[in-house]
Amino acid sequence: MIRTEELHSCNGTLKSRSGQKQTENYTLKNGYHKNEKVQKNGNGFHQPRVRGEDSFEEAPMYVAVLTYMGYGIVILFGYFRDFLRAVGLEKCHQAQEREEQKDFVPLYQDFENFYKRNLYMRVRDNWNRPICSLPGPVFDLMERVSDDYNWTFRLTGRTIENVINMGSYNYLGFAENNVDFLKTVAEKTRQYGVGVCSTRQELGNFSIHEELEQLVADFLGVESAMAFGMGFATNSMNIPALVGKGCLILSDELNHTSLILGARLSGATIRVFKHNNMQSLEKLLKEAICSGQPRTHRSWKKILIMVEGIYSMEGSLVRLPEIIALKKKYKAYLYLDEAHSIGAVGPTGRGVTEHFGVDPKEIDVLMGTFTKSFGATGGYIAGKKELVDYLRCHSHSAVYATAMSPPVVEQIIRAIKCIMGVDGTTEGQRRVRQLAENTRYFRSRLKEMGFIIYGNKDSPVIPLLLYQPGKVGAFSRAMLKRKIGVVVVGFPATTITEARARFCVSAAHTRDMLNKVLQSLDELGDYIRVKFSRHRRPYRPELYNATNFGLDS
Amino acid sequence: MNVGTAHSEVNPNTRVMNSRGIWLSYVLGIGLLHIILLSIPFVSVPVVWTLTNLIHNMCMYIFLHTVKGTPFETPDQGKARLLTHWEQMDYGVQFTASRKFLTITPIILYFLTSFYTKYDRVHFVINTISLLTVLIPKLPQFHGVRLFGINKY
Repeated sequence: MIRTEELHSCNGTLKSRSGQKQTENYTLKNGYHKNEKVQKNGNGFHQPRVRGEDSFEEAPMYVAVLTYMGYGIVILFGYFRDFLRAVGLEKCHQAQEREEQKDFVPLYQDFENFYKRNLYMRVRDNWNRPICSLPGPVFDLMERVSDDYNWTFRLTGRTIENVINMGSYNYLGFAENNVDFLKTVAEKTRQYGVGVCSTRQELGNFSIHEELEQLVADFLGVESAMAFGMGFATNSMNIPALVGKGCLILSDELNHTSLILGARLSGATIRVFKHNNMQSLEKLLKEAICSGQPRTHRSWKKILIMVEGIYSMEGSLVRLPEIIALKKKYKAYLYLDEAHSIGAVGPTGRGVTEHFGVDPKEIDVLMGTFTKSFGATGGYIAGKKELVDYLRCHSHSAVYATAMSPPVVEQIIRAIKCIMGVDGTTEGQRRVRQLAENTRYFRSRLKEMGFIIYGNKDSPVIPLLLYQPGKVGAFSRAMLKRKIGVVVVGFPATTITEARARFCVSAAHTRDMLNKVLQSLDELGDYIRVKFSRHRRPYRPELYNATNFGLDS
Repeated sequence: MNVGTAHSEVNPNTRVMNSRGIWLSYVLGIGLLHIILLSIPFVSVPVVWTLTNLIHNMCMYIFLHTVKGTPFETPDQGKARLLTHWEQMDYGVQFTASRKFLTITPIILYFLTSFYTKYDRVHFVINTISLLTVLIPKLPQFHGVRLFGINKY
């Protein structure tokens, strides 16, 4: 019998939402709880942890109006240029049908390429930049210029060297080519070769794969794990093996493409709940359980809640204790995609489960990728032994995809051993702590400067909002001139008003590099005017640079 | 640029009219048009108001009820290719807030125009016809209707 006033579960207190006045010290505003605490587990497994708040500050209204004006001007000019191209006054660079086929049904959809032709082409030089070195904290770019306004590029042959890398998902700095660290990788390559030439189920199951999976299971604190060759394919190939027709998937609004693709491929019914909004999720769960499948009203075979650890476009953290409380109350399953958060959050780098003090055995399917924090490729799925054994037989990836290549496997093994400390050094822990320190420093400095930053204060993914389409291009080019490489994203990957630049802080960044980036951001932010935040705090240099906080200094 | 990839928002065009600040931008846009027309030296105030009404309704008809499809590729294999922007709004759900707003604005503009033209007969006829061209396509009965096959494909 579920009492409606309060449900105590191991990892959080779930209050009913029936309109009773909340007398506790936290208020509900748009689904965000301020400073709620996580209660200890029964066996005292982890310390209670206070979750910082995700911030999604809105810019003043004039910024939105100017953004629409920007898009309006670009659209008008787009129509004008299309008219010139149609009339023949301007050269058309796009593919066109042959003269004989002009009366046929059109092969190239003109209007669907409007955005690409008239907006994307203008700023296209900010993406797909060729990199000619290791994507570490600094890298080298090949210089390329365009003679016809970004329709074609040519490489000049020169290299732009030592560009600070603020875009690679190199959270723990394992994208390195230090010979000492890579000795074991070289040995294993000599032993196993590079190609596997088979799938896991046939002749591709090497002992090194078994070692990796055992290590991943130990690292995460679960019974068993399975590794796959491609991170995206881990999601898209395994979700169809777990759920099918007659099941319900509740997925967060901002889930990654791989999760959405896997959900669509599975054939289950998909319902979307608002980002990180527990009321929306609970409402969907209640409705689903009460009314069952559409039309037949039979009960659902399975309900799977799909969330991510860190959302890479927003930098926000999942509300894990609340979701676990909900899942226990309504008897649903939880699929947690820790692509960006494994290795990057948590005091010892074990991901969001450690960050929130949650027992990893409570989560049904733990998924993650090795591409971000471990500097390799591939993904894993971990959980109970029955689950993983089932996936070994039924996953599309196990049956059809080639197994992981041995040097990559050894790189992951050495990275995990480094983080766990098994290799006998404290290098891994140093990196995890360095990442946390860099994250906190970078975020607080950006907030002080007055930029609008999204996300949780502990997440190393930092989206900086630029809003206007013109500023997106200007920002990226100006940063490249100052030898800093950033990733910018605009509409339609984000909503129309929220174009942004996304910074990924790394443990390999030194304080000097971050200071150089921050100084450039400061100057550039004033010059192109993106400092829209209304919560500016004064900059206090003595707190960052002092070595002695004693009273007599 | 993630055009063509799976995204939980299949067609961003459906949400554009609900975004923050777009209603305000729209009203400011009408105001700007009106001020530009007012600054032409030799036209009288009633003519300016009628021109504002006409140009606004013409632009609304073109952008909301004539142009079909999306200016970017969507991952749903072109379900919205034959739909105008008005039909795409909110995935075809009728009587949402944005639809009501976009129906009421031409009506208010019509009231203002009638007042400022002092209910003159010629202006009345022109403005009413213009209002009808903009109001009739917005009726729910006209969702997906193409009269005489015009603008069908």
